[in-house]
Amino acid sequence: MAKWGMVIDLDKCTGCQACTTACAMENNTLPGESWQDVLFYHEGEYPSGQMKWLPRPCMQCEKPSCVYVCPTRATYKDESAGGIVFVDWNKCIGCKYCMIACPYGVRFYSDEKPLIEPDMRDIYPGQNKQLWSPPYQNPKEDWSRGIGIQPPGVVSKCTFCYHKVSQAPEGTVDFDEDNPAVKEYVPACVRTCAPKARYFGDLDVPESQVNQLIGDKHGVRLKDHTGNKPQVYYLGAGAAVPAFTPADKGDKS
Amino acid sequence: MNDNNILKGGAGTALLILSALIFLGSLVVALGNLGSQGHASFNTSSALPWGQPIATYLYFALASSGLGLLASLPLVFGFKQYYPVAKRCVFLAFIILISGMTVLALELGNVFRMLWAIPLNLQIQSAMFWMGVFYALDLLFLLWKFGKLDAGEWDSKTSKQVGIASFIGVLLASGNLALIFGMMSMRPFWFDGLLPIYFYFTGVTSGMAALVFFVYLAHGFNRDKMHPAMQSLMTGALPKMFAALIGGTLLFIAARAITGLYSNNPEINIVWTDYLFASGLYHLSLWVGLLLPFVLMLNGKLRNQVNVQLLVSVLVFLGLFAERFYFVVGGQVVPLFKGTWYPDLIAYTPSVTEWALTIMGWSLAFLLCVLGEKFLNLSAMPDAIAKQGKVHPAIA
Ligand code: SF4
Ligand code: SF4
Repeated sequence: MAKWGMVIDLDKCTGCQACTTACAMENNTLPGESWQDVLFYHEGEYPSGQMKWLPRPCMQCEKPSCVYVCPTRATYKDESAGGIVFVDWNKCIGCKYCMIACPYGVRFYSDEKPLIEPDMRDIYPGQNKQLWSPPYQNPKEDWSRGIGIQPPGVVSKCTFCYHKVSQAPEGTVDFDEDNPAVKEYVPACVRTCAPKARYFGDLDVPESQVNQLIGDKHGVRLKDHTGNKPQVYYLGAGAAVPAFTPADKGDKS
Repeated sequence: MNDNNILKGGAGTALLILSALIFLGSLVVALGNLGSQGHASFNTSSALPWGQPIATYLYFALASSGLGLLASLPLVFGFKQYYPVAKRCVFLAFIILISGMTVLALELGNVFRMLWAIPLNLQIQSAMFWMGVFYALDLLFLLWKFGKLDAGEWDSKTSKQVGIASFIGVLLASGNLALIFGMMSMRPFWFDGLLPIYFYFTGVTSGMAALVFFVYLAHGFNRDKMHPAMQSLMTGALPKMFAALIGGTLLFIAARAITGLYSNNPEINIVWTDYLFASGLYHLSLWVGLLLPFVLMLNGKLRNQVNVQLLVSVLVFLGLFAERFYFVVGGQVVPLFKGTWYPDLIAYTPSVTEWALTIMGWSLAFLLCVLGEKFLNLSAMPDAIAKQGKVHPAIA
C-alpha cells in the first residue's frame, strides 16, 4: 500500500504562488479558501534581516490531530488512499473542532465573511446543495472525500489531489510532471511549480524520489514538536518558522 | 409551604411577556441573518473559528454544571442548610443547559446531522463525542432528579441514587468540556491538565451567581418573604461560600496569568500582554466583575445585605461571562501560520448575529426560569427542614 508524501524544496521555491493558483483552479476554492498557500515571514533586523516564505498544503499528518477530535468521523485518514486525510462532507456537522486542533491552520470553513468583494457566492449562487456554483467546475466530485465544491456548513481542506493521484497506474512511485506517462496524475500544485520545487511520491517505497530527497537533503517536518508527523517534508534553508511577534513590536532579539 | 413567590402573580406574567419578546426578537434576528447569509453573518473566520456563541455555550454549560454541583451539597453530601435552594438549583441547571445547547445548535454548520452522525460513528477518541454523551446524560439525570424532588421524594433510595448519578454526570460533563480545550497541545493558551478543576470551580461560581439572583427575583428582592430556612441560608452559609468561590476564582486566574506572563512562549505570553491585559473590557471584568465583588463579600456586614448580594451576583455573572469569552477567543488570537504578511493578533469582535444568539440564550434562560417559578414550586424543601424553620449550621 502506498503512503503519499510531498517534498518541498525551499531553496528552489520562488514564492510565486503558482501552486496556490493551480490549487484554486483545480479544486474550485473560494478566495481565501487556500487549501495550498504560500506564507511569507520576515525575521531579524538589518543587517541580518531575512525574508522567508513557505508553501503550505495540508500536511496529511501520520498522527492527525484533526482526525482524533472529529466527533463524527467526518474527518478521517484513509490508509488505503495513501494516508490522505479527507473530510466527508456528508457527515461533517461544522463544529470546527478540527480547525482548532490542526496545528498548521490548513482547514477552511467557507461560511465566513468574503475575503474580497464582490462575494463569489453572490455572483454564482449555489445550486444542487453547493455553497456556490461557478460556471466552470472540475467534473470530479466526491463529497465523501471532500472533493469538489462543498455544501454550506462543512470544513474543507487539501486532498493531495486524490482525484488525480488515484487514477495513476497501479504501482506508480514517483509522480514526476516531466514524465508523460504520469503527468496527468500529479497533484496540481506539484505539476505547476515552475522551478520544480515540489515532489510527490510514495514514502513506503525506499527508492522513491521523495525518500531519496528527504534522506540526502535533510528533509524536515514543520512544527515537529506537535508530534503530528506530517507526510510533507521541507528541504533547504528557511523551513524554520519564526516565533510569532506582533508587527508593532518588531524583533527585539 | 409558604408561597411568597412574586413570579406567580402579575409581576411574573409581565416578566414572562418581556423575556418572551426579547427571546423572540433575538431569535428572529439570528434566524433571519443565518437564513440569508449563513454563518458568514458571524465575525468568526477560518483563522478564528470559535467565537462568542461558543463562549456563550461554555458559559451556560458551566453555570449549569455549577448549579448541579451546588444541588449535590444537600442531596449527596448532606449539607442540610442548602436544602432550601436544592430544587431551584436542579431546575436552573436544567434550563440553563437547555439554553446553552440552543445557542450551540445555531452555531453548528449542520445541527440536525449531529443527531445521527455522532451516535452512529462512535468516535470515542473525540472529546466532543463524549461531550455529547455526558451532557445528554447530565440533562437526563437533572430531569429525573427534578422529577423526584417535585414528587416530594427527598430521601428515598432512588432519589439518593439519582442524585449521586447526577453528581457524577455533572463532573464528567464539565470536566470533559474542559478537556476539549485542555487537551489541545497545539493551542498552548488552553493546554492545561488541570483545566477541569478550573472549570468546576468557576462553574460553581457562575452557578452561585445565577442562583442568588433568581432566588431574590422569585421573592421580589425581599428576603422577608422567604421561608425562614432560606433566610438563614442566605445570611449564613451561602454568602460565605459565595465569597470563597469568588476568591478561589481570582486565585485561579492569577495562577494562569502569572504562568502566562512568565512564559517566553508567545502563544501564551502575548495572549496575556497584548490581548487580555491590553483590553479595557478584560480589566473591567477582572477588577469590577470579580475583585470588587470579592472585596464586598469579605465584609461580614455587607455580605449579608440583599442589595450587595444582588449586585455581586450580577457583577460576577457578567465578569465570568467575559472571562469565558476571553478564554475561548484568547486561545485562538495568535495566528498559527496565518496573517503573516502583517503579523498581528487575529482581530475579533462579535457580530450582530452573534450577539443576537447570546441575547437569545440569556432571554431563553430567563423565560424558562420565570415559567418554572410560575408553575412549579421551586422553593420546596424536605418537611423536616421546612418545619424546623431555621437550620442550625451545626446540624449540617
Ligand atoms: S495538517 Fe492539519 S488538517 Fe492536515 S492532517 Fe495534519 S492536522 Fe489534519
Ligand atoms: S467541523 Fe466537521 S470535520 Fe471538523 S471536527 Fe467538526 S464534524 Fe469533524
